[in-house]
Amino acid sequence: MQLNNTILTVSNLVKNYGAKPAVSDLSLGIREGEFLGLLGPNGAGKTTTIKLLTGLTKPDGGDILYFGKSFFSHPKQAKELIGVVPQQSNLDRDLTAFENLNLHAILHNIPGKLRRGKIDEALDFAGLLEYGNKQVKTFSGGMKRRLVIVRSLLHDPKILFLDEPTVGLDPQIRRNLWDLVYRVNQVKKTAILLTTHYIEEAEKLCQRVKIINSGSIIADDTPAQLKKEVGSFVVEYLDQEERKERFFASKEEALAALKEIDGEAKVREATLEDVFIKLTGRRINV
Amino acid sequence: MFNGFRGVLYREIHVFQKKAKKQIVASSLSPLLFLIAFGWGFGKEVTVNGLPYISFLIPGLITMSSLNQSYGISQELNITRFYFHVFDEFLIAPVSHIEIVLGEAFYGIFKATISILLIFLYSLLFGVDLMLHPVFFPAIFLHTFLFATLGITMAMIVRDHGSQATVNTFVITPMIFLCGTFFPVDKLPAVFKWIVHILPLTYSTKVIRASLTGGEIDYYYLSLIAGFAIVFFGTALWAIKRVEA
Repeated sequence: MQLNNTILTVSNLVKNYGAKPAVSDLSLGIREGEFLGLLGPNGAGKTTTIKLLTGLTKPDGGDILYFGKSFFSHPKQAKELIGVVPQQSNLDRDLTAFENLNLHAILHNIPGKLRRGKIDEALDFAGLLEYGNKQVKTFSGGMKRRLVIVRSLLHDPKILFLDEPTVGLDPQIRRNLWDLVYRVNQVKKTAILLTTHYIEEAEKLCQRVKIINSGSIIADDTPAQLKKEVGSFVVEYLDQEERKERFFASKEEALAALKEIDGEAKVREATLEDVFIKLTGRRINV
Repeated sequence: MFNGFRGVLYREIHVFQKKAKKQIVASSLSPLLFLIAFGWGFGKEVTVNGLPYISFLIPGLITMSSLNQSYGISQELNITRFYFHVFDEFLIAPVSHIEIVLGEAFYGIFKATISILLIFLYSLLFGVDLMLHPVFFPAIFLHTFLFATLGITMAMIVRDHGSQATVNTFVITPMIFLCGTFFPVDKLPAVFKWIVHILPLTYSTKVIRASLTGGEIDYYYLSLIAGFAIVFFGTALWAIKRVEA
């Protein structure tokens, strides 16, 4: 299905590693300027999906269209339109921040006379202007992440893929990165596909969330609508030392149910984790 | 235009610059030791195929050292690919595999050229007269290109750093010692003679030695080196495509 101003259309994507399916019949579309989240536990197929969409691995079936053109017959044109922030930093630690960005600029054919200005602008956007001539191996984890993000934007991509961009970072740095990513989407109007297993990240940043489990999309809507569908309020209680949840449409219903439960119990607002639990019977972050 | 080729070379040369001193010292040591041990050790009295041994040895050291440097990019590529994932940046970029292979191959040729210049310098210091025939240039280009592209192929095929070391132990080191670098292959037993004649170093050593010592150039051998270069260029392209499978 191709909607108006859809820049990426993925249809029935399949990828198997041996007999094990990593991605099964996955379809999705991203519109211009949209912020889409792909939320799922480790091993759900998020990174494989990003690898498929960026050409790092080939699918066993399905199609990928960028602006209506097949990725497989026009790979070079498609790659000009995409920016990628991989899960593991692929910066060259021996090169300086400037050299890393300059390498990206050369690979993306940015004219020499424009490069210096674009690189300075990118370093400034990431708050790294004064570190341009420092080797990346001297950078902290957060600085490297910020550099990878602005590097991926240097050639003005129409769509940015962020594969678990904040994994392994402490909460303060994670929030700084959320701010940077949010500004990319709002200021530069770049469409973003973010994969994450952090509930809060998906809820805070994404306009729309697709929940992925065992390589398949099992739910797709705005975070608010997804939560509403399972019940916006949750009664959480212990049953024979096992944490359990019951879902309710209103707080009043939840409070009424709470009174009937013996033992430790509480009412809280639903999260996307609850949506995942309701759909699969297990937690995202275990 | 050629942004992939330029990008790969930009990356490799800038990384090299930061480690240049260490790399040049390391690559200069082994040929120097061979020259001292075998060149001076045997003296000018020992002759091979009518040449003083040291004159026979210098071209062999040129092929050995340039092979080590051009094929040696496989180790760097291996680290780039498996440990730092920098190679993914090339694969994600809008560039062709041909440009990536040519960029890496020319980096291998660049490193080999430094080692060749060092050995020419040694030959001056050791008082060895070389007779440079113009065929030396295409021959050394094809020789370094074929081993650089073989290096790219191996770096893309192996699954980890350990496998890379195994290939070096079982393929590269025996080739260096048996393919006419230190002694003529005619002296080998029949079975080894047969084996070394399926290896490219045998032909490049013969042609390069002839082009530096006034020997007769075998153009059939030169065309065989070109054939190997084309084959390994093809395998390097195939191996990169395979990484994306």
